[in-house]
Amino acid sequence: MTREQRIASTFVELADSLVDDFDVVDLMVLLTERCVELLDVSSAGLLLADPVGRLNLMAATDEAVETVALFQIQRDEGPCRDCFHSGLRESTTDLAAAGARWPLFAPVAARAGLRAVHAIPMRLRGVVLGSLGLFRIQPVPLEPSELATAQALADVASIAILSSRGIRDAHVLADQLESTLNSRIAVEQAKGIVAEHLGCGMDEAFGRLRLYARANQTGVTIVAQALVDGSLSTDELRAR
Amino acid sequence: MPAGPHDRGERLLGVAAAIAAAANGEHPVEDLCRACAQILSVAGASVVVMSGGVRGLGGSSDPVSARIEELQETLGEGPSVDAHQTGHAVSEPDLATPRRPRWAAFAPAALAAGAGALFSVPLRIGGVRLGALTLYRPMPGELSAGQHLNAQALANMVANIILSMQAEASAGSLSPDLDGLVGHRSEVHQASGMVSVQLGVGVGEALVRLRAHAYATDRPLAEVAADVVARRLRFDE
Repeated sequence: MTREQRIASTFVELADSLVDDFDVVDLMVLLTERCVELLDVSSAGLLLADPVGRLNLMAATDEAVETVALFQIQRDEGPCRDCFHSGLRESTTDLAAAGARWPLFAPVAARAGLRAVHAIPMRLRGVVLGSLGLFRIQPVPLEPSELATAQALADVASIAILSSRGIRDAHVLADQLESTLNSRIAVEQAKGIVAEHLGCGMDEAFGRLRLYARANQTGVTIVAQALVDGSLSTDELRAR
Repeated sequence: MPAGPHDRGERLLGVAAAIAAAANGEHPVEDLCRACAQILSVAGASVVVMSGGVRGLGGSSDPVSARIEELQETLGEGPSVDAHQTGHAVSEPDLATPRRPRWAAFAPAALAAGAGALFSVPLRIGGVRLGALTLYRPMPGELSAGQHLNAQALANMVANIILSMQAEASAGSLSPDLDGLVGHRSEVHQASGMVSVQLGVGVGEALVRLRAHAYATDRPLAEVAADVVARRLRFDE
């Protein structure tokens, strides 16, 4: 297989995992292993944030990367940690010379034999889930095309990870979405009711709703819902 | 020439890239509809998010898919409505000669709009139902078992991506990306409020009357609603 074919087949594995039942940990192990094979890096590790924003090591291809990944979590310093917080790629060609930037992390990484590092954000729509660390034992950075491949692999894996997480937060988020849509619909309906009663335009109708809500120290949505279900009469708004 | 594993790899490479690009792009719902249509080898796809029995927002890959959703909005029936209400996939491989007749008003209108076969899967996460993903083909034809499975899996992903978009929004407001997808539906709700006053009925009944008028005059619900809001049309005369 050519390198392009191997990259394509990795996307197949990741894309298949999007449309089948899959284990998130297996997916992350697969992602790090394929990065090592496809991108000519010596090791790869994946850090993922838990719901309160603490990073956890989810996959590591060898002990060296496990050591430096755990160190970043414990000491809150290093390229993967920075990448997670900024949402941006962090790259350093020679960790042995990066003591000014990461005074604690750089010597630990150098002792583990790791020289070049690229930390790739795991992200979806601006939400950063974690970071993928790619390391080389020589001080040689990845080519731009290799970085683009790494980011695309990380993007697809991020959607899969988020899909599996969705189950956990879904009820809360779905309720929020539904109640937001409901209020939005009620406000539009109430605007129509007021506009028809008072013979005014929609903007003025909304202004009346807002005035009434403020005067009664309540929300526009509550006033709108009361008008729609008939528990509040439009005459009340006219009186003001 | 039969498609070999390499062709499949090339195709899925495109698919994966399309999903990632759509999910992170400027018009995620429309782009995801296009990606779904491409992955499932159908002519078009549409997504609708329902709130109770009312359409909150939606997007589509192409004009025919948009028309299929518009017809369902006007007529209050169709595959997206059924998939959302029942929580089960709905399959109509031959809309012209269905095994069991349904959608008396919608089916002929959808045929005229260019749909030969329709499939809907609910957008759901856990026990929550958000709406539906609907696919159309211009000619009759069943989806394979694999396509059905993939359609549901893609619908789950779309539901997740929509929820993750809403997760970015502040409490009580829609995320800007979703807000743009509410579109003309604001006017439909405003018109429901106005007609409810004109007829002295609830807003639910008013929407039914608006739909009936749209159906009787063969116009999209959105157009009728715009006429009501602009005071070109009253229901109490």
